[in-house]
Amino acid sequence: MAVLALPATPADAILGVPPTRVFRPASLDEAEEAVREIARDGLRLAFVGGGTELDLGAPPSALDAVLYTTGLGRVLEYAPLDQIVTVEAGVPLAALQARLRGEQQMLALDPPWAERATVGGVVATNAFGPRRTRYGAVRDLIIGVTLVRADGTRAKGGGKVVKNVAGFDLPKLMVGSLGSLGLIGTVTFRLHPLAETSSTVLFPQVTPVAAGRLVLEMYAAQLEAGAVAALWTDRGVEVGCRFEGFEAGVRQQRDRLSSIAQKLQMPAEVLDGSSADGFWRRHTAAREAPASLRAKIASQPAESPQAAAEAWAILREALQAPRAVLYPTLGLGFVAGDVPEAGALILAIARARAALALHGGHLILHAAPAQVRGQTDVWGPAPAATFLFRRLKDALDPEHRLAVGRLVGGL
Amino acid sequence: MSAPSAVSPAIPTPARPVSAWVLAQLGSIVGPQHVLSDRGALRTYASDALATFAVEPGVVVLPASTAEVAEVVKVARSAGLPVVPRGSGTGLSGGALPVPGCVLVGLSRMKRILEVDLANRWMRVEPGVINLDVSKRIAPDGYYYAPDPSSQSVCSIGGNLAENSGGAHCLKYGFTVNHVLAARLVTYDGTVVDLGSAVPDTPGFDVLGVLVGSEGLVGIVTEVTLRILRKPEATRTFFATFPSTTEAGHCVSEIIGSGIIPAAIEMMDRLAIEAAKAATGLDWPDVGAALLMDVDGPLAEAEHTSQKAVELARRTGALEVRVPKDEDERLLMWKGRKSAFAAVGRISPNYLVQDGVIPRTAIAEVLAEISRLSQKDGLRVANVFHAGDGNLHPLVLFDAKRPGEEQRAEALAGEILRICLRHGGSITGEHGVGADKAPYMGEMFSEADLDTMARVRCAFDPEQRFNPGKVFPTPRLCGDRPGIYSPHPAELSGLAERV
Ligand SMILES: Cc1cc2nc3c(=O)[nH]c(=O)nc-3n(C[C@H](O)[C@H](O)[C@H](O)COP(=O)(O)OP(=O)(O)OC[C@H]3O[C@@H](n4cnc5c(N)ncnc54)[C@H](O)[C@@H]3O)c2cc1C
Repeated sequence: MAVLALPATPADAILGVPPTRVFRPASLDEAEEAVREIARDGLRLAFVGGGTELDLGAPPSALDAVLYTTGLGRVLEYAPLDQIVTVEAGVPLAALQARLRGEQQMLALDPPWAERATVGGVVATNAFGPRRTRYGAVRDLIIGVTLVRADGTRAKGGGKVVKNVAGFDLPKLMVGSLGSLGLIGTVTFRLHPLAETSSTVLFPQVTPVAAGRLVLEMYAAQLEAGAVAALWTDRGVEVGCRFEGFEAGVRQQRDRLSSIAQKLQMPAEVLDGSSADGFWRRHTAAREAPASLRAKIASQPAESPQAAAEAWAILREALQAPRAVLYPTLGLGFVAGDVPEAGALILAIARARAALALHGGHLILHAAPAQVRGQTDVWGPAPAATFLFRRLKDALDPEHRLAVGRLVGGL
Repeated sequence: MSAPSAVSPAIPTPARPVSAWVLAQLGSIVGPQHVLSDRGALRTYASDALATFAVEPGVVVLPASTAEVAEVVKVARSAGLPVVPRGSGTGLSGGALPVPGCVLVGLSRMKRILEVDLANRWMRVEPGVINLDVSKRIAPDGYYYAPDPSSQSVCSIGGNLAENSGGAHCLKYGFTVNHVLAARLVTYDGTVVDLGSAVPDTPGFDVLGVLVGSEGLVGIVTEVTLRILRKPEATRTFFATFPSTTEAGHCVSEIIGSGIIPAAIEMMDRLAIEAAKAATGLDWPDVGAALLMDVDGPLAEAEHTSQKAVELARRTGALEVRVPKDEDERLLMWKGRKSAFAAVGRISPNYLVQDGVIPRTAIAEVLAEISRLSQKDGLRVANVFHAGDGNLHPLVLFDAKRPGEEQRAEALAGEILRICLRHGGSITGEHGVGADKAPYMGEMFSEADLDTMARVRCAFDPEQRFNPGKVFPTPRLCGDRPGIYSPHPAELSGLAERV
């Protein structure tokens, strides 16, 4: 059964680079066969899931074919009592969550565009949302993977038990790989119970410095926030701290945070259960709203409010309708907006990078107009370990045919 | 499968000793007093805690800095010698077992705590730092380091990193890999490279995630940045006894199914309880099974979840539920659990420690299977393990003085791994593959899986300089580029020779 190569259309281009053909396998077997066929022809290939983060990374330096994973849509094994699930890469995250919710469980990943983002794409881009504060990132939740290497070899790593140290950790190697080491075919995740209840303490108008102070006070008071997000607009900064868990613990923590707020003379509002939806919807909207520029900023967590404020002050000058989301417990945030003039933005990015570097941090472009990409490296300076990235690429994709040129260091 | 109490095997001596040239070179790097080559010292380092395996190293070197480690590796390379890293030697899979004629690099002198950053919640340490010393250092500030192997008072951070060690409290907090932010690595040619960062999401592949758990096969770690956590406000502990492991296993499933994430939930069977009592003098009753559980978090949360868990224990058939009256009693209960391996020495002359993983829901069924095997083979098996994540530690008891019994114990321990695999589990949850379980890797992974892992290993160490012969079941070359060996000038002039 040969997998049909279909002619590509302009809509299949990745960052303006058009493939000549596309594959839409309906099963992992078909996907493997397609990859073999592509290997036989020596073609350069990229994998696409929901297409929500295709702008992350540099444009492919060569591209002949695109393989869509959306046909790999099965939940292969769901064991609620063992709190694990194995799914094919093309399953949309929201669809998976809906299934898990039936058993009062979740995959503790809440990145944007969950309706369209596929689990394979979430792994390949290391996508995350506010829950990362409590549950960690993809690397902390992925426990198994089946991948198809550039030559069509199917291999698995990890397994379906939460604790397992047998062999090299291939699942983690796939995280953030943008499909450049192989097709992520199936993924096994550990799951968590849905919280009984939640409560958000909202600080409608704070300074970045106060937001930082708040986080330190929470640690001092041994409060365990499930998520903390700061939303930045031209009108100011608002911060939401969410507690999740059993009723008694949630109530006690939000009350304590309210008293801390009083002590610090920071106006705060308690929003129990769904009354906080408004804030968290604003948060998601800020991350999802279309923008020609989206940049991820990173620094040491305790310095992140200050670092983000500096990057914000620089970048907003070069953006229209600028906005930002900061996760101060993580040291990560996103700045977004439209670009009236590429030249000004290029300079602003360089200055923001310099400012972040003083905090040990960095800036990665998740979306940027072509003129900006042409003049600035989307990844920024390559880390010292880039020679190891290259050797890994050589080891698993020796002909450099997968997602070529998309990764840091031109890999 | 280790036998900490097994009889000392005969230690083979390497065919050829390490050359005088190599010894002199190493001495000039670390100081001659830190190069050990006399028989006594070589014997001391011949095993880790898996004492049934023993091989004398060619030489033992104890460097004191990253630069020294890098130079040592370069010398070993130019002499064509394999390199085996070693922390405290508490490993239970033969990870630090010498390879014949190797340069054994002991990291025990590198035990400085280099930097503590409480605001950003990390700590930078050298690899020889003992696990417990990390938490001790920051305890006065109300912080701690989460991974807590039972060996934590002696094992090193470097060893923890290499094995991706776990501990009782990893159920809620994760394993070593979830608590390592960055590491400095000396690779096969002496290159020093930093992986990861205290700043999240550095671009590129998660090479740090690959390094953690790579069992000393990709290089020598000389510095580690650890994530540290604020202590939870409250911890609630209870100890519950059950008629058998079936009810106890059911209780574990019910507690976790109710939405509680315990900080730890450990199970002991009748034999393990008996051993722990003999070793600690605890007044635990003679019952079929016991659970020791911690929940922690903000006060109200911990109170609520512990009440709920106790209710569930009663409902699932607990005979008795004990709550420690104070911190001392709590620590004593945990001491009973953490000393359980050694305690088994009280009830049997010898034993093997097995480490396998099964889905949590299969605990009762698998323990019953193990018990059937044990009866059939006439060997006792004690079980003390991390029930929350299905990580079994069957202890196979035997008497080495009885001919053939050790072999039968080995065979039984191997069968247990096969049971784990049949239930969709793993051949190791925390002790690693090492030298011991390499033969079982082919039963868990396909040829293609192992080839892919071997490629990853080769990307770090194309010469397989580090820990050759471990983890992988069959020797493999790195691609079609076999080790790029270039003779050292001293060797060409006849001063040195390859072993
Ligand atoms: C009584 C007892 C209880 C135990 N309980 C637990 C437990 O609860 N959980 C658990 O996970 N383990 C447990 N262990 C196993 C053991 O303590 C751990 O595997 C520990 O992490 C080993 O640390 P070590 O310093 O002794 O390493 P070693 O045994 O010296 O070495 C282990 C491996 O690490 C490599 N290595 C060491 N240092 C470095 C370095 N700097 N760079 C690169 N590679 C290095 C070695 O080559 C070897 O492969 C227990 C062991 C004993 C004896």
